[in-house]
Amino acid sequence: MRIVIAEDSVLLLDGLTRLLEAEGHEVTGYKTADELVAGIGEPLPDVLVTDVRMPPTHTDEGLRAAVHLRSLHPRLPVLVLSQYVEQRYARELFAGEVRGLGYVLKDRVADVDEFLDALHRVASRGTVIDPEVVAQILARSRRDGLDTLTPREREVLGLMAEGRSNAAIAERLVVGLPAVEKHVTSILAKLDLPPDGDDHRRVLAVLRWLEQAPTTGDRP
Amino acid sequence: MTTAPTPELRRVAPAVHDVRAFLAAPWSGATWRAVSQLVIGGVVMIVAATLVIALVSVDLSILLVFGLGIPTTVATLLAARSFARWERARLELQLGAQIARPTYRSATRPGWWASWVAVLGDGRSWAHLAYPLVAGLVLTGASVAAGIGCGALASLMYPPVAAWQGVDVSTGRTVLAIVGGIVLLWVSAVLLQLLAAVQVRVGHALLGPSARQAAADATQRAAAAEQRAEHLATTRTAAVGAADEERRRIERDLHDGAQQRLVALGVELGAARRTAANDPQAAAAAIEHAHREVKETLAELRDLVRGIHPAVLTDRGLDAALSALAARSPVPVEVVVVDPPSVDAASGSAQAAAYFVVAEALTNAAKHAAAQAVVVRADVVGDRLRVVIADDGVGGAAAGPGSGLEGLASRVAALDGTFDLDSPAGAGTRVTVEVPCAS
Repeated sequence: MRIVIAEDSVLLLDGLTRLLEAEGHEVTGYKTADELVAGIGEPLPDVLVTDVRMPPTHTDEGLRAAVHLRSLHPRLPVLVLSQYVEQRYARELFAGEVRGLGYVLKDRVADVDEFLDALHRVASRGTVIDPEVVAQILARSRRDGLDTLTPREREVLGLMAEGRSNAAIAERLVVGLPAVEKHVTSILAKLDLPPDGDDHRRVLAVLRWLEQAPTTGDRP
Repeated sequence: MTTAPTPELRRVAPAVHDVRAFLAAPWSGATWRAVSQLVIGGVVMIVAATLVIALVSVDLSILLVFGLGIPTTVATLLAARSFARWERARLELQLGAQIARPTYRSATRPGWWASWVAVLGDGRSWAHLAYPLVAGLVLTGASVAAGIGCGALASLMYPPVAAWQGVDVSTGRTVLAIVGGIVLLWVSAVLLQLLAAVQVRVGHALLGPSARQAAADATQRAAAAEQRAEHLATTRTAAVGAADEERRRIERDLHDGAQQRLVALGVELGAARRTAANDPQAAAAAIEHAHREVKETLAELRDLVRGIHPAVLTDRGLDAALSALAARSPVPVEVVVVDPPSVDAASGSAQAAAYFVVAEALTNAAKHAAAQAVVVRADVVGDRLRVVIADDGVGGAAAGPGSGLEGLASRVAALDGTFDLDSPAGAGTRVTVEVPCAS
């Protein structure tokens, strides 16, 4: 794959570059958001990895650059790395198209296999949301339907919200695929969500459902 | 003329203000304090009034006859001031009256004649002179009240003494003696308290500051208090801002430093683990790299932690902490601590403020001022800890908004200290900081 990385920490940029090159990828690095926006263009890379906090103001340049680049190139897969993941930032990032978009805690890159998996999922137009963001969304969700889920179903819901496929959920929970499918069907039925096989639409549906304000018409 | 504050008068004459105190008047402490002040004050006032009349007559007569009366009048008025001081002390001791010392008119020009004119024209001194005469009248009244008290006691003792002596007294007379005695006893006690209060009022009027002076003093005090409140509000806001800025700086340092290093380290080790089986040599190289990274991260964290609050400052005080700062500075630093025990006895906040000012000044001296030598001097002047940092660099430093120096100036101001930056271009920089030792 052709990968572009925007990261102001030279150490981390070097580490990631070496790691990805050892994996056989072609890597281009940028140290600021401005350089990134100026440097990226056709042909687009297979995936863009960007830090949130970068010079000059060290606030959210990377996030804004990502949103900007996505509006220019809606099909550009972007994986946003951040030292802090927050639901609020996630909402801004995932406001539009969620395919080929990822938002994960920077610390996760130390877990190389996980990181590479997330990178591949984003590159193949999947959605990756950090478990911490999902936890925040779940904690803030005031929907009535949630308490009808069993603990196991809640766990599966969390993994669905992270953007994982049924197979990945089965692997993570060390259960068989049919068991996961049964849970998913049950969850979708309980939350009154469309029984859709498409992972991406499912993520979106789950997130939208969780973030919605509670309504009196909710089914128990 | 100032009037006595009400709580003070309540203390001196409670029987006038309170029914229960009225009922207890004859054996109340206030009454007996009034009696004791009558005895001592009476003697004082007889002597003082006599002296005043004698001295003023002499002054007036030799003033008329010769011009010599002027110096003696000045002397009399100065003596009256001493007397007033003594009398204020007596009233405080005996009646608990707090009478402020008045401000006397001071000479507008140098020279003995101007100072004499000032004394002669000072209304307060003349009021002091009048005091023994007025107070003497009050005390005369108090003596009458005390006399009534004696009469009351005699009246109360009349029936039992008569019975003991075998004198036959009619029931009507006995009742009259007892009832009359009791009434007179109360009249006497209340009068004594009341006249003591009058005495206190006279003291305030003639021994204290004039009404105009008192009003001016009060206005001045109010203005000072307001100014102080304003100062506190400003420095508090600045201190909170400085603390916030400091936290943001620490967060930035941690984020840009240790956190990034650790993430990179994680990548390094993760990659090493991945390649360990296939390419042990590459894995070994990655681990070695990671090991170096760990040591650098540790050093960085150590510096950062020391920047938050150095342990040596807490454990060993400013003297030791300054030596450590000097040792780490790339520019040669001479540290002079005058009387280290007194410096180390200053409060933790005062020492910390001084420490961080020195740390920032040394950093600036090395980074921006291109200094060749720095002298740091710490000592205690009165009740203030003073630190002076002087370098021989390029000067021209300013404690602009957001600068490290500005944050430190806020911190110092919040401790009621002073921060002085003297940095003429080309002539070195001199930072002087003073903070109260007890802050």
